[in-house]
Amino acid sequence: MSAVVLCSRNGALLKQVFALSRAATPREDHLCAAGDALLSCHRSYRSRPTHGIGRYKYLLPKETPKKKKDRVQMKEINTGTEYEYGDINIQMTSYDLCLVEHFAQYVHRLCNRLSVRVNESYAMPTRTNEVLFLEERGSKMQLDAVLTTHQRIVQISGLSSTFAPILLEIIQSNQPEGVHLLMKEHTEADFKSRLKSRPELEELLAQMT
Amino acid sequence: AARCARWVCTAAERRPWRLFGAMCLLRLPRVTQEMEKEEEEVAALMAQVRGEQEKSCYSDHEIRKLEEEEQLKKRKESLYDDDEGSGKTLIMAQDLEDKWEQKLLQFKAAPRITDADKNNNRTSLDRKLDSNLMLLVKQKIGNQELWLLPQVEWQPGETLRSTAERAMATFLGDHVQAKILGNAPYGIYKYKFPKAIRTEDNVGAKVFFFKAFLQSSDLSRAEPKADHLWVTKNELGDYLKSEYLKKVNRFLLDL
Repeated sequence: MSAVVLCSRNGALLKQVFALSRAATPREDHLCAAGDALLSCHRSYRSRPTHGIGRYKYLLPKETPKKKKDRVQMKEINTGTEYEYGDINIQMTSYDLCLVEHFAQYVHRLCNRLSVRVNESYAMPTRTNEVLFLEERGSKMQLDAVLTTHQRIVQISGLSSTFAPILLEIIQSNQPEGVHLLMKEHTEADFKSRLKSRPELEELLAQMT
Repeated sequence: AARCARWVCTAAERRPWRLFGAMCLLRLPRVTQEMEKEEEEVAALMAQVRGEQEKSCYSDHEIRKLEEEEQLKKRKESLYDDDEGSGKTLIMAQDLEDKWEQKLLQFKAAPRITDADKNNNRTSLDRKLDSNLMLLVKQKIGNQELWLLPQVEWQPGETLRSTAERAMATFLGDHVQAKILGNAPYGIYKYKFPKAIRTEDNVGAKVFFFKAFLQSSDLSRAEPKADHLWVTKNELGDYLKSEYLKKVNRFLLDL
């Protein structure tokens, strides 16, 4: 194509060139005419001033490559007149799934509204309990019910000691029936309980040592 | 350390205000409050909306029930098959449901409105199970006998929180299991003594309020030393003076 060969920066000359190319390749002309009205046959080649006009990825902040295991501790010091708690876990347990989920959502939104920083909001695996009913005349246990216990945890940090009792009171008064509430500090053991243990790896390690 | 030194210096001066620590002992509600008419309508509407949004799936029991219903239908339509035999499922899901319904009918819940409510016996803890109950004690201040939250004078060298705990112990005995949540007071009420008693050193008094939650509702071991009452927030107005009531109402949460 003549446009490729010439590659000039002069606008007028380009138009001439394109006119020539249009005459030379009528098929392309048809394509251009048949397509969308906005479809243009202009393409920015690398020497054109508009090259790279749509670039934006270089403006975004650099993403650090994600590690497999997250950092564990973010403890704060609990001394001084500005008495602030470190990470606190609000644990809600219940047999009723909808109730505990909605309550966890409510607590999360309450903390957002009161500008308390929420680190994480996650669920612990459900535990299934089988309730066995002992017959009165007989030794056989009969399956009566299957109960599932659900647990949701909302982790907050940066709670000041003057505000903490008020928050706790609000959450306590809005507690629904059947939901157990527990507020405790986040420890390493809590973090480890979320991770699954790998027995084969442990066995191999034990064999090595 | 510098802060501590400053505090010690000011404590040595004679301050004109006498300090008291008062305890607001709350018994938390045992039953949820009943919903008002609008709240019930909204709850029904939200349940409908959520049911469509969340698209909950059938549980195991419901799936089993549906399958068995289909099996029954098939058996009726295709005349009795000998191969089915006495049936794999000895207990059908429908039977289980009937059994559970019967159990539910046998279950009788405890009454929400107790005897104490009917008698309006304000000294018992069983009244008004759906709202907070507070402890009020009759105390002698100056020459008057007033209904107040239990309070005791602060002694130098102890924290205000321990003053409040002491106030609770003096009026209810040592075996009360109550939990105070924080070290900070919830409110303050200050008043000046009438001119007859006022001296340069004793201008007035400041009362700091602390809040505690009653853990166990078993107060049989408590020995009340004076007249005491358990009242809700609305009934406070019958007993407390207006200024005092205003300050107390500020920190009472009634949901």
